[in-house]
Formats: sequence, C-alpha cells, structure tokens
Amino acid sequence: MRVLLVEDYPPLQKSVAKGLREAGFAVDAAADGEEGLWYATTGEYDVVVLDLMLPKIDGLTVLKRLRAEGRPCHVLLLTAKDTVADRVRGLDLGADDYLVKPFAFAELLARVRALARRAYRAKNPTLRVGDLRIETPTQRVWRGREEAHLTPREYVLLEYLAMRAGEVVSRMDIWEHVYEFGSEADSNVVDVYIGYLRRKLERPCKPPLIHTVRGRGYRLGGGE
Amino acid sequence: MTPSLKWRLLGWTIGGMALLLAVFAVVVYTAIERALRNGFDDNLAVTAWAIAASAKQEEATVEVEFDEGEMSEFRRADRPAYFELWHEDGRALRRSSSLGERDLERRESAPGTPAFYPLALPDKRPGRAVALRFRPKVEDEQEGEDKPPAESTPAPPVVPQNLTLVVARDTAGLDRDLAMLRWLLAGAAGGTILLALLVAAATVRQGLRPLDALAARIAAIREDNLAAALPEDRMPAEMVPVVRRLNELLARLEAAFQRERALTADVAHELRTPLAGMRSTVEVALSRARAAGDYQQALRDCLAIVGQTQAMADNLLALARLEGGQTVLCAQEVRVAELVEAAWRPHAAAARARGIALESRLPADLEATADRDTLARVLSNLLANAAEYTDDGGRIEIGGWSAGDRVELRIANTGCRLTPEEAAHVFDRFWRGDAARAGTGVHCGLGLTLVQRGVAALGGTVAVKVDGGVFAVALILPAPGVP
Repeated sequence: MRVLLVEDYPPLQKSVAKGLREAGFAVDAAADGEEGLWYATTGEYDVVVLDLMLPKIDGLTVLKRLRAEGRPCHVLLLTAKDTVADRVRGLDLGADDYLVKPFAFAELLARVRALARRAYRAKNPTLRVGDLRIETPTQRVWRGREEAHLTPREYVLLEYLAMRAGEVVSRMDIWEHVYEFGSEADSNVVDVYIGYLRRKLERPCKPPLIHTVRGRGYRLGGGE
Repeated sequence: MTPSLKWRLLGWTIGGMALLLAVFAVVVYTAIERALRNGFDDNLAVTAWAIAASAKQEEATVEVEFDEGEMSEFRRADRPAYFELWHEDGRALRRSSSLGERDLERRESAPGTPAFYPLALPDKRPGRAVALRFRPKVEDEQEGEDKPPAESTPAPPVVPQNLTLVVARDTAGLDRDLAMLRWLLAGAAGGTILLALLVAAATVRQGLRPLDALAARIAAIREDNLAAALPEDRMPAEMVPVVRRLNELLARLEAAFQRERALTADVAHELRTPLAGMRSTVEVALSRARAAGDYQQALRDCLAIVGQTQAMADNLLALARLEGGQTVLCAQEVRVAELVEAAWRPHAAAARARGIALESRLPADLEATADRDTLARVLSNLLANAAEYTDDGGRIEIGGWSAGDRVELRIANTGCRLTPEEAAHVFDRFWRGDAARAGTGVHCGLGLTLVQRGVAALGGTVAVKVDGGVFAVALILPAPGVP
C-alpha cells in the first residue's frame, strides 16, 4: 500500500516514515502543505497521514482541496490539537480518522492498516484466497497448512494482489501502489517479484493462485 | 475591633441630637420656670398691694381694714398663706389669722418696691414671700365734709409711717408644676431620642444594605468568574467609583489569568510535539531487533529533541523570571562586540555551510551598560533567529554605534517573508511566522519574547522593522556611565 506522510517536524517524519516502511508500506514524505498537496494530487495514495500545523499551507486546507478535487485517498489527521471541536471539524471536513499527538506508533500503524483495508473494502484483516491465508496484522502467509516465508517486498505485493483478489491488476497499479515514488527500479521488477511469489506459493499439487492475464496484468485467484 | 460605620454614624447623629435636645429642654425649662416664678411673684405682689391698699393712717394711727373673707387663703387650715404687717419700729401691726401667734420673718424692701425671697413657712413647708415697705394712705378726717376753705384751720402735718408687709405663700403648687414640666420635657426628649435611635438605626441599616450586598457579591468572586463585573446600575452614587475601580481591577486580574491560562495551554501544546517525536522514534526503534548503529541513531535523534525541549524550557523559565521580577540584574560595562561574537559562534559553521554571509560593523571598543548574562541571552536569541530565518546565500548585517547617552545596535537579515502586519506579532509568546516550526523545532516562538522582556529589564528598547524582505532589529541600550 502506498502512504503519503505530510509532517514537518523532522524527528516525527523520520521515525514514522521508517516505521511505516518497515511495516511494508511504500511511503512518500512531504515537509510542508504545499509539497504535500503536490504529492497527493500527482500520485495515487491509499492512505494520507496528514499533520495539521504545516508551513506554507496548513493541513485542513490541504484536506479541503483534496476532497474538493474528489481524491479518494483515506486521510488520517495527526495533530496536537485535541479538543472535541477540533476533532469534529477535522472529520467533518472529510478526514477518515484522527490521532492526537503524542501517540503510540503501534496505534498509528494499526489505524493506517485499517484505512488501507477500507480502501479495498477488505473488512477482514485475514485475507483468504483459495487455500491461501494472509494474516495482515502479523504479515504471515500460509498456503494450506504450510507457512510461506516471504520477504517484505514479496509480502506487500502479495497483500496488494489479495486485497484486489479476483481483479486484474495492471503493472501500473502495482507500480503505483506498492512501490515508492521515484523508486529507481523499472517495471521489470514487478515481473521479477511475481516470479518470486510463484516460486514460494505455487505447488504442483495445488491449483495455481497467480494468473497472468496477457496484456493486462495479473490476477490472484478467481479461477481461469 | 474595627470601628463600625453604622455605630459611628448612629453615635454621632443621635449623640448630637441628644445634646441638642438636652440643651433645648434646659432652655425651655428655664424660660418656663422663670415665667411661672414671675407669675407667682406677680400674684404675691398683687396680693401684697391689695393688703397694703387696705391700710389707712389717720393722724398717728394706722388701721388695716383688710377683710380676710375676700382672700380665704389666709384663713383656711389646709396650707394657708400668711401675712404680717409691722410698724416702722418693728411692732406687729396685723397678722393673718393663719399665723395665729407666730411671727413671720420681717424683711425690708426698698420703699414701694416689693422684694421677693424664699422662706420656710411656719408649718415647715417651702414657700416664697414678698416684703413690701410702703406708706399707708393718709386719711384726712375732714375729707368727707364740705368746709369753707377760709374757715378751716390748718391741721398739724401728719408724719406718714412706713409700714412693712410680708406676704408668704407656699410654693407647693409651683414646685409641682415645675416638677411635672421637668418630667414632661425629660420624657419628651428621652422618648424622642429613643424613637430617633430606632428610626436612625433602621435607616442606617437599610442605607448600608447596598454595602452588605456588595460585600456578598465580592465574596462570591472566584478565579473562574472574574469576568462577571459587579453591577453599577443600582449602586448608590457614593459607591459607584468604588465599584468601577473594583471592576477595572477584576478585569486586569482576569486578563492576567487568561494570559496565564493561555501560556499554560501553549506550553502543554508545545511540549506535545517533541514528545511525539521522541515517542515515535523510540517505539519504532524498539519495534524490531536492529543493528547497534540504528539504535545509536535513534538515541542521537532523541537527544537532539531533548536539547530542543531543554532550550524551550530554559527560555520559558528565563521569561517567567524576568516577568516575575526575580532576576537580579547588575549594571555592568560590557563590550558589545565580545558578546556578539560569543552569541554567533554556535551558528557560524552551519551558516557558512548555507552560504550565509555575516557582516559585522561593530566597533571593537563599543561598550554598553547592561547585565552581562541577560544581554548575552538577548544577543544569542537574536542571532539564532537571524541564523535560522535567513535564506540560503543571504546576508546578516550587524551594526552598532554610540549616540550620546545611548548605544544603538542593529541586526538585520535577508530572507524575511513576514508582512508588516505579521511583524507586529513577533514579540508575542509562541508566535511563529507560518504558524509552524520552519524546520528545526528549536524555535517555539519564545526567542523574541525573551528579547523584548530582557531588553526592557536592561532599561532599553527594541523595535522590529520589515522592509523588502529584510528583517531588522533595532536595539537601544544605556551607554556606559548611565544608570
């Protein structure tokens, strides 16, 4: 999943971005409202973590503009303003969630995950496709009874495919949602990682999970 | 015991009134008493003259043809009056029947003029007498007949006798009347005073009720309802100035409390940011096993945050001390250039890396009168500000000169994006341009507030001007030798 972090306080930006990346998210970070708005309007993000007190353009204005443009990203507001009035205002302006600083990073992570699930209408934190079971909170994967050990990059790719199980996912989608903006890898890396996944998940005695749809992309599950 | 307004008012009013009433009563009593006594005396005199008129002298004999039946007082047994007539030589001529064989005390008077005096009556009752010395009417024997004037032989001249008459009456009636008058006056005065005391007490209590009401309202004022002003509309005119001053005082107190509340809220708010940063850094560092280098970096990051927070706390404390008047300042002669150089040192390297040029036109021997530590902090904050907000490749200019009894300093930097309206706020607590931290988190908005308070404490002034992207601070300090 792709997350945009708009936070100007460097220690916070650094640690949150690091934590989210380690949890498997592709994170782009902006340090002021203007930069954040530019990122949000030029990229596709599943979740935007938005601080309110930002230089140049403040967080609420960024939120209003995003919503005015019809951007479907889920927004989590991060702020030290904690009164009920502040929360109501933020939510009424179109935010999806609100977290007060200081916060436990584990909670931020859980909330971002919840918003990411919402982006794909996957209510269940456990994703199942056929006999594939993915526990998103712990990021563990089983094929049948056998646990598969995936690298973080493999996992995020599989999770994304599972979120959109049964749909054809184009390479462009994967490129935009799984990898960070300005990643130097080229589009081939998608094919490479699909290969890795197949090697770890496909079994000769079991039906194939990952299907290639010529000219369009890949699909997880859904039958032939 | 604190003196009571009510008792003092009552005391003086009623006391004064009582005094006046007493004086008035005494005057009235004296006048009436005199009138009554004069009337009594007049009666005595009239009686005396009546008796005197009845005395006739024929040749050498005097006869008193006084008929006691006309004045029964001289005859009755119950509290009679007395009279006695004497010849000139002291022989008793006539007594009233009431006297019997006793004598009245004989007194003299000027001829024809009655003399009054008190005396004890023969039966021991208190009385008053009038003494009259007179000459009886001389009767001529031949007066009743017609005689040819030529034939009468002149009678030998009659020597008129001087008679003394004393008439005495008891004064019981008078005394009783006077006593009654005294009781009446005393009673009236006393009653009036008592009534006045009651009325006055009630009036004063009623009149002072607004004071009690005001006291009750003041007692109800707490820190959380300072804004509720005391009502002026139904206050008596004398209390309106008091209430007005009280309201002004309450308004100032409320403003001070609000500033304090705002400061507390601001500080709490400001603390949340570094805390969130530290928490996040530590939690992410702990979220999985990491290389020692990662932990070290996380610890370094936390230390940096701690440093910033510490700087904020120091600034706040210094500010509180300056505002609370707790800092003891000593006036020293300080070399400005030295302090400026020390204040710039921490920023020099970073500024150079950003291409910021520092031009200092401070005379090396420029001196000012100031408390060294406070001025050092002021300069440190000003230069930190300049270092932070100057654009990359920009310029910082420092100039100073002495002008009579003042020393003026100017610190200006390019790269300022504030409007003149915003520039008016730079000294406000926790105010920052852009409502954010502009990158480092060091500037929580207290630096220039501290500068302003510090300079004021040093006896100088500071002003800020924004013009064409240049932020200029003008500092005025007392010159050496100026107290």
